[in-house]
Amino acid sequence: MDSSVISFYAISAFLLTFGVMAVTTRKIFRAAIWLLFSLIGIAALYFWMDFQFLAAVQIIVYIGGIVVLIIFSIFLTQMSGKDMPQALTSRKLIALALSLGGFAFIAHFLAHANYHESSGLVDASMPAIGRKLLSVETGGYALPFELISVLLLASMIGCIVIALKKAQEKP
Amino acid sequence: MQLFYLLKNEWMLSFMMVVLLILKVADNGRSHSSWIRIFNGLMLVLCVAGWLMPTVEGEAFGGMFFSYKAGAFAKNLLCTGTLFIGLIGEDWLKKTRHVVEFYLLIISTLMGMCFMISAGHMLMFYLSLELASIPLAAMCNFGFEERRSGEAAMKLILSSAFSSGLMLMGISFLYGATGTLSFAQLTLMSSYEPLFIIGFVLLFTGIVFKLSVVPFHLWTADVYEGSPAPVTAFLSVISKGAMVMVFAYILYHVFGALNDVWYTLLYVLSIATMVIGNLFAIRQQNLKRFLAFSSITQIGYILVGISGSSAEGFTAAMYFIVVYLFSNIVAFGVITHIASKTGNETIDSYKGLAKTNPFLAWSMAIALFSLAGVPPTAGFFGKIFLLKAGVGTGNFVLIIVAALNMIVALYYYLRVIRAMFMDSNENAIQPLESGLSLRIALFVCLAGIILTGFAGSIYEYILNLNVGL
Repeated sequence: MDSSVISFYAISAFLLTFGVMAVTTRKIFRAAIWLLFSLIGIAALYFWMDFQFLAAVQIIVYIGGIVVLIIFSIFLTQMSGKDMPQALTSRKLIALALSLGGFAFIAHFLAHANYHESSGLVDASMPAIGRKLLSVETGGYALPFELISVLLLASMIGCIVIALKKAQEKP
Repeated sequence: MQLFYLLKNEWMLSFMMVVLLILKVADNGRSHSSWIRIFNGLMLVLCVAGWLMPTVEGEAFGGMFFSYKAGAFAKNLLCTGTLFIGLIGEDWLKKTRHVVEFYLLIISTLMGMCFMISAGHMLMFYLSLELASIPLAAMCNFGFEERRSGEAAMKLILSSAFSSGLMLMGISFLYGATGTLSFAQLTLMSSYEPLFIIGFVLLFTGIVFKLSVVPFHLWTADVYEGSPAPVTAFLSVISKGAMVMVFAYILYHVFGALNDVWYTLLYVLSIATMVIGNLFAIRQQNLKRFLAFSSITQIGYILVGISGSSAEGFTAAMYFIVVYLFSNIVAFGVITHIASKTGNETIDSYKGLAKTNPFLAWSMAIALFSLAGVPPTAGFFGKIFLLKAGVGTGNFVLIIVAALNMIVALYYYLRVIRAMFMDSNENAIQPLESGLSLRIALFVCLAGIILTGFAGSIYEYILNLNVGL
């Protein structure tokens, strides 16, 4: 077992521990913090795979942006400090059995799958990714990129409309 | 120039979005009825242009976008349906706050559906599916004063997030098994490897979640009941129509090699969907919940047709969508009108409607007859074609179950008709004045219900669209 494999298992253990803690804690604020750590673990996995750009995006977008947003919205609600109600034991058991069963089922197939060798090396450097995002040729992602901007616009309009207070009636 | 025709609906919709945004920024004080006129006018131009412009087959953006005749037909149909929904929802739209934002959301949803129908890559498919469902959840919340409307939006967004999660997992398995996400290459590389099949089944689950096939239907009734009536109409007609189209396309043309896998899935799911949808529909009092379960049952029949795995199956499903669109828009038109004028949504409150509002009662009755599949309405022919396509596989159990369910369905559709025509009621709904746009929409759709059945050329037209596939 070389150092690379050991570091992979270390990162995975870190990620999974915090992932489990995020879903089991009863304080919603702590759940957000544990989520932050498990996202850092994912960024570490990207670094381990030598995808520096993806790792940087993971840190900037997820850790710097989304988790901060989640924490903000938790502070905006009133229940941030309180414990969430305990789930019924029977429900917990059912959920545990289902998730373990599902995991075992999928893991079995994943372990016995015939994976194909990747066709050639993937160029994950920043200029290559940038060029692909704007390319309209085969393998380019210009159209999905533009579609995401429409999706963001629509989501923003939706959010603003929902959050907007009722305007004063004109006399 | 080819690109101009290839993406005709998509670019027109995005252009319309920009126009509405600029108008909104330029003049914020415009009245509601002026916005409604602008939207209806633009949408009408879009629909006419969409039907008149030549349909070009081909691909763009390096295979990300793929245009085919049946898809172009479906896109035009969805845009036309949205125009009608704008017309029947006028009473409600005049009262709502943020009418422009509602239109922007409806256009972006429609755009998502158009891209979804033309997707040639899993990434495009997933993104456009999200574009077609996230703004929809915001639209469900448009009954701002009502708690159930917010609840509906919450349920829709959570259940669609869950189904997207399943779907993404499936897509990542497919990628793991084949190393590609483009539809053309997935078709070439599809195999009976366990990983590929699991990926496919998860993707399948995600899609049937959106179609609200039993046992993934639990969100449907609550969301339909809580949303404002025009949004419910949009959800049940346009959103379902687009999903059926995409579903049939993906099954037939991307995973055609896994025919026997998805045949088994469809066999089990369609029986469950028809039976359970029917049993629950019998018990409903609220008309929106009633139509929710009725639409679940209709999806069950569509699955029977799709399971035929032939060109006729595809055609029958599309033809049924046309009929279903007309019938449901009429039914929802009546419900929207009565709900926005009086606030009544239960079957009991419709008692004696035929005496006070004969036009609305007759429209509703024809729509329900078409949904039940009573001749001479088009619903009858739609169901015949679906069953005929289903027989192609020689599985008569499925056809017998479907036929029995259609008889049960007749019972509960007639229950509403009995309430409107036979029951007397002292406090029946007062005679209501229906606006011009509602009457236009109802007349066109009623004509559609009758004519689609008799004009055999429509069925043949749809059948010919599929030849190129």
